[in-house]
Amino acid sequence: MIARAALAAMLALAAPALAAPKAKLAALPPYAGAYQPQTVDERGQWAEADEDERQLRDSAAVVTDPALNAYVRRVLCNAVGDDRCASVRIYILRVPVFNASMSANGTMRVYTGLLLRVRSEAELAAVLGHEFGHFEERHVLAGFRAARTATDLTTWLTLAGGYAAVSTAATSHTIAGNFYAYGRDQERAADRLAFSYTAASRYRPGAAADVWTRVMDENDATSLGRHQRSQRYDKVAFFASHPAPLERTVTLRELARKDGDDGEDATDTYAAALATWRPQFLTDQIKLNDFGGTEYLLAQLAKDGWTPDLLFARGELYRQRGNPRDLVSAAGFYREAIAKGDADPLAQRGLGLALLRSGDAAAGRQALTDYLTLRPDCEDAAMLRSLAAAQ
Amino acid sequence: MACPDGDPAGIGGMFMTRRLKRPVAAALWVCALGFAAPAMAQEKSATREGFTLPASAKARILLFRPRVRVGSQSTGGMFEPNADWTEQSKRNLVTALGAAQNKLGHTIVTADEPVGPAAATLAAYRALFATVADAVITYQFFPGNRLPTKKRKGAAFAWTLGPGVRDVPGAADADYILFLDTEDQFGSTGRKVAQLFAAGLGVGITSGVHSGFAGLVDARTGDLLWLNADRQMGGDVREAAGAAKRMAQLLEDFPGSVPAVKVAAAGAAK
Repeated sequence: MIARAALAAMLALAAPALAAPKAKLAALPPYAGAYQPQTVDERGQWAEADEDERQLRDSAAVVTDPALNAYVRRVLCNAVGDDRCASVRIYILRVPVFNASMSANGTMRVYTGLLLRVRSEAELAAVLGHEFGHFEERHVLAGFRAARTATDLTTWLTLAGGYAAVSTAATSHTIAGNFYAYGRDQERAADRLAFSYTAASRYRPGAAADVWTRVMDENDATSLGRHQRSQRYDKVAFFASHPAPLERTVTLRELARKDGDDGEDATDTYAAALATWRPQFLTDQIKLNDFGGTEYLLAQLAKDGWTPDLLFARGELYRQRGNPRDLVSAAGFYREAIAKGDADPLAQRGLGLALLRSGDAAAGRQALTDYLTLRPDCEDAAMLRSLAAAQ
Repeated sequence: MACPDGDPAGIGGMFMTRRLKRPVAAALWVCALGFAAPAMAQEKSATREGFTLPASAKARILLFRPRVRVGSQSTGGMFEPNADWTEQSKRNLVTALGAAQNKLGHTIVTADEPVGPAAATLAAYRALFATVADAVITYQFFPGNRLPTKKRKGAAFAWTLGPGVRDVPGAADADYILFLDTEDQFGSTGRKVAQLFAAGLGVGITSGVHSGFAGLVDARTGDLLWLNADRQMGGDVREAAGAAKRMAQLLEDFPGSVPAVKVAAAGAAK
């Protein structure tokens, strides 16, 4: 008994030592909380953001589940520190694309598509840290001023050109180019700052680079599926708001190599926290009608094996595309999902519809009957009953 | 011409904002050149057929937090929000509305800000109203853009938010719901000077944006009873007198209102 207690005490002592800050970077400066906007411009930006946040707060798109919100907040606080994270309100928005954003006043928007795509707390921390970096550096205000200077200059230049009868198009283009380059520099600064936060936290800072690698791969898969040319990652477009993902990957990997890439990923805790949400996020993803990208995403999520929710999602994806061969594949995925047990009852529905469309009427009707037994009061019960009735 | 005021969702999307930004980018540079289209002749208000506010019976009109944006317009045409002006104007407009309601002869009740599910319902209906009002302005008031069913002479003004408005907090005790929305961008000195120089070249650019709309919705059926939208309004809302003038313009043609509310055509503050 005493030995066990001693062991527990030793472990308790060891745990913080293991998770102790390991950054070789300079420590973050102290953070003054409850910042109030100062100038006319900044107060104007904050007032607009406050008004937007009032609307956002009551929006139907916000996922209000307390557990999920508390979890995402905890990851942010772990990443940037408790003093910093207190100045941010997080809104999880049910939008199935990979993104997050930050307003001038500390309104952080996190899309569910992002939560579906990142694989660990360390990766999520990198993204949230990036957004927080925009807030700490007051990038919205600086960006607003840069845009105003650029448009003012262009106006004067165009007028002067008008009077002098000289074309000023080239110079205007340069001003525009500089403005967008300025925005990309802000993104680079936010990436670096996010790296500093995570390097000082318990998380592995190099995880950020993994996110961008997968973003590029998923983009390529989407392009391939849509028969479009894939994006170039070795250079940026004129109006690009962000640096190319390749540049971000290389920069972040280099930072991680120099700083020593240690810390925890917390992959398992992340998976556990998102487990109840993944089916809904997958359903939303499938509605994007992005076969190539979704196939890639599902394969990534299934790295450690195909679970019933992933198989069901893949069945839905194939059934949605609906080529005869897809319906055969879909039926296979539904059956696998059902065979593993614990599958969404909707797998029976999908199986039934896929089989009916494939000409296997008897088995299809049976699957629909099974579904109706499981969910007699489902929304489309009347229609399914008519399909399940023997012809 | 409405110019984008930066990235509405704030800066710093991780990735995808790039795709959204491109049209904004193009618009930004067009704005910077600042050659605005001349204002088209446009209808400003309409009343649902057969609707008049009963003058004798006092109706209860529920007013929701008016959306007020006030700032300046930069030389390049960007909106520069100003927190002080917005606060001041909001106060002025609410005071002006209080004074105007006596002339209307009805009781205006300011709605409390709800919390919980009621807040979500209200947010949904505010968004719906904004969408419907925008559709009316774009597809019925604006002659060049009318929907086929709105092209006929005397086309019906028939728009509704649906009977679900009854669930909006406070609607149960009210007869009508009033929505107000104003946006003011005062031309900066730079903008005004640029306007002069542009005029020298024979090019017209606008300085300042002063738009607003007011809408009345039946609290039981959800029908849009009256809408008044003006993209060139008068009255400096930062001052009490100007706000009173703006409110009078907003409530112009209010169904069943006393003619005294009407004011002369838009004035100097434009």
